[in-house]
Amino acid sequence: MIEVKEPKKRIPVVGLISGMLTVSKYMFKKPVTVQYPEQKPDLPDRFRFRIFLKLDDCVGCTLCEQVCPNHSINMQKVDRENPRNKRKIYPDVNFGTCTVCRNCQEICPTEAIYLDKEFETARTRNSFTYSPEELALKENEVIK
Amino acid sequence: MSSSEWVELNFGPQHPSMHGVLRLKAKLDGEIVKEIEPVIGYLHRNAEKICEMTYFNDNLIYFDRMDYVGAMNMEVGYLEAAEKLLDISISERVKWIRVIMAELSRIAAHLVWAGAYGLDLGMLTPFFHCFIEREKLLTIFTEVSGSRQEVNYMCVGGVYQDITEKAISEIEDFVREFPKRLKDIFNMFMKNDIFLSRTKGIGILDKETAISYGVTGPMLRASGVEYDVRKAEPYLVYNQVNFDIPVSYKGDNLARVLVRFEEMRQSLKIVEQAVKKIPEGPYFNPKAKKSLMIRMRGEGDVYARTESSKGEFGVYIVGDGGVKPYRVRVRSPTLKNLSVLPELAKDVMIADMIAISGTLDLVFGEIDR
Amino acid sequence: MNILLRLQELFSPLGHLVSYILAYIFESLFLVIFVTISLIVMIYVFRKYMARVQQRIGPNRVGKFGLLQLIADALKLVGKENILPRNRDDLPYKLAPAMVFVSLVLAFTILPYGDFFYLGSFTVTHSEVTIILLFGIIAIMPIGEVLAGISSANKYALLGALRAVAKDVSFEIPMMLSVLAIVMMASARTPSSLSLESILSSEFLPYGILEPIGLFVFFISMVARASYTPFDLGESDSELVSGHSTEYSGMRFGMFYMGMFGSIFLGSLIVSILYLGGPSGPLESSLGFIWLIIKAAILVLISFTVWLSMPRIRIDKFINFGWKYLIPIAMINLILAGIITLGWGL
Repeated sequence: MIEVKEPKKRIPVVGLISGMLTVSKYMFKKPVTVQYPEQKPDLPDRFRFRIFLKLDDCVGCTLCEQVCPNHSINMQKVDRENPRNKRKIYPDVNFGTCTVCRNCQEICPTEAIYLDKEFETARTRNSFTYSPEELALKENEVIK
Repeated sequence: MSSSEWVELNFGPQHPSMHGVLRLKAKLDGEIVKEIEPVIGYLHRNAEKICEMTYFNDNLIYFDRMDYVGAMNMEVGYLEAAEKLLDISISERVKWIRVIMAELSRIAAHLVWAGAYGLDLGMLTPFFHCFIEREKLLTIFTEVSGSRQEVNYMCVGGVYQDITEKAISEIEDFVREFPKRLKDIFNMFMKNDIFLSRTKGIGILDKETAISYGVTGPMLRASGVEYDVRKAEPYLVYNQVNFDIPVSYKGDNLARVLVRFEEMRQSLKIVEQAVKKIPEGPYFNPKAKKSLMIRMRGEGDVYARTESSKGEFGVYIVGDGGVKPYRVRVRSPTLKNLSVLPELAKDVMIADMIAISGTLDLVFGEIDR
Repeated sequence: MNILLRLQELFSPLGHLVSYILAYIFESLFLVIFVTISLIVMIYVFRKYMARVQQRIGPNRVGKFGLLQLIADALKLVGKENILPRNRDDLPYKLAPAMVFVSLVLAFTILPYGDFFYLGSFTVTHSEVTIILLFGIIAIMPIGEVLAGISSANKYALLGALRAVAKDVSFEIPMMLSVLAIVMMASARTPSSLSLESILSSEFLPYGILEPIGLFVFFISMVARASYTPFDLGESDSELVSGHSTEYSGMRFGMFYMGMFGSIFLGSLIVSILYLGGPSGPLESSLGFIWLIIKAAILVLISFTVWLSMPRIRIDKFINFGWKYLIPIAMINLILAGIITLGWGL
């Protein structure tokens, strides 16, 4: 246990002037801003944000729908020829309620649904739900 | 002026200071505050009821979002209770990793407090320096878990992914360079006579009032009571590291500011020792399975307390033998600290009321849950 | 030579009276343009300086290096919707920003500037009592702030106006006492000691060296007049939402904002004219104006550093400081100035 001590009493104006010098010495250091659209930030490998789906690997087992904690995944019927997916159902994701908890990525038996680094998903849109075909595309190919 | 001539002024939920959504109904007599009544509930998100409908391991995402500035402390608090209820043991490596992450979150939370306090009083510069340092911490969190603020890194039985070599070297760099910057920020506050005149001798909280209102954390330690959950009932590995707890006997604003700065230095000391001592081992206990077929069941009730950056954070879980908890109750330290504000702010000027409520360190995600 | 007389020669074919009137109008127009340009440059320098101190970049998108940012901000303010509160008091509400801004610009026409290369000096007013004129016009600005606070139907504005009144009244007196010391020292050397021009032309040492205490007191009073931290109680940003200018939107708010920056510049100019020697320096006869601007710019940078590094002071300690500390110090300064004047036969 240590006791914190108050700072010593000083001559009145000297402290103010040394505070001003401390503030103004930062003028000569380099700025730390990343100027966004021209320079992108340096992201580590594990950064995760957006859910992607590989349509050929999905077997339609509905495990991701059962394990999502706030029911953001629902299965939809998509008419697509896939020998692995006889029931023809694929997941769609509501990004408004997704909390990026990675449960779906952990439980998928074929690693068809996974999270990746893309984070620039801002645009004018009507709803936050992405259909299964849109989940397979990168963001600049998704046009609504 | 008599009490019928007091002006009623509303410092509404939208206000240019950084407290959050606090509404204060104040009755003023000229410039002096006579009565004050805080109104809360603007950020209530129903976390405790939702936790009754979700499995034990998935509840963690709601605890991240309570004290959003220092999120790992909340996760440690919940997991202390849940692992005791579900009877799952964790390895030594996991305990050391959890201690490092909790102390780094404590430093991040205190940096937010320091910047916002300077902005309340009118200083424009320390805010940016504090947030530049916090940015380095958030990069460390991203390197380890994948997100900056709502981390979701720990789970029942261990941690989600192992800590990498790059993260450990970044933590060592941070430990080496942070003391210089902290000294600059400290001098910007403490060498200023005007700052000392705004905080010395104002808002004195004495020992008996603090204990009777249930105040914990740095506010209690600044009033003379030497109580810290990490020393009184050690959890994880806090009895194997060397650190001190700062105490002051004066109880005014300046004491609380000094206690929080000293806590940042002590947390840095803990991280510096812990990084050298991490043992090898598994990072996850395979008994805590997360598949759909086998879910963990728990019966009985458990109360576990830990020390978050705001005070004593307690979680009470009741299980009835099912896969979801029956009731989860959270003891929020900031709510108890806020209840002492009408007592402290009697017969002070408006400017003092703002300075006092800045030292309470209010984060509304935790008050309203 | 003087720009006024040169212009009058230019217009002299039109007749004696008309040419003088036209010369005055054109020279005042030059001064208003000078004031506007200097305000724009000052706000730009402030934003870049504040950004560099906080380790970030500042405006750099609008125009090269962000030079056109202020013009974009002014256009945005002019184009905003005009929101008027319902229970306002109409005439004072609309008059208050105009009072603040017009009196600020008017105060610039009274100061003596130095010579500007071969063109002559910019000074518009040549009279015997410019000190009284100057401080009389500066005293109109607080009236505008108080009127703004009282006539908006808002409790925050009322509290801000009350604080502004207390601040202005208690810091007027030390300012006048320090100026009195200078007038007293100048009266030993020239007969017309109330005129700024003759004070400047009759000194042999800048008065800042002979009365440093007076410089300190006057500088603090000008900081209080311009209302930035540590003395910005009228507009405390985190307690009362914006003080006396809460209910103003659009260009009316812009006038208060420019009034604050303009008083910083005006205060620095007055301090450098009274205490630091004004336009004097080497090569005075052709570069006097440049020396004045350099001295004022250094003082403006010091004011910005004070703004960025200090918290706000509480109202009762502030008034305490004004009445109990500054006035006795100003009186000691007065006595010392009297001793120097009579004793050394300056």
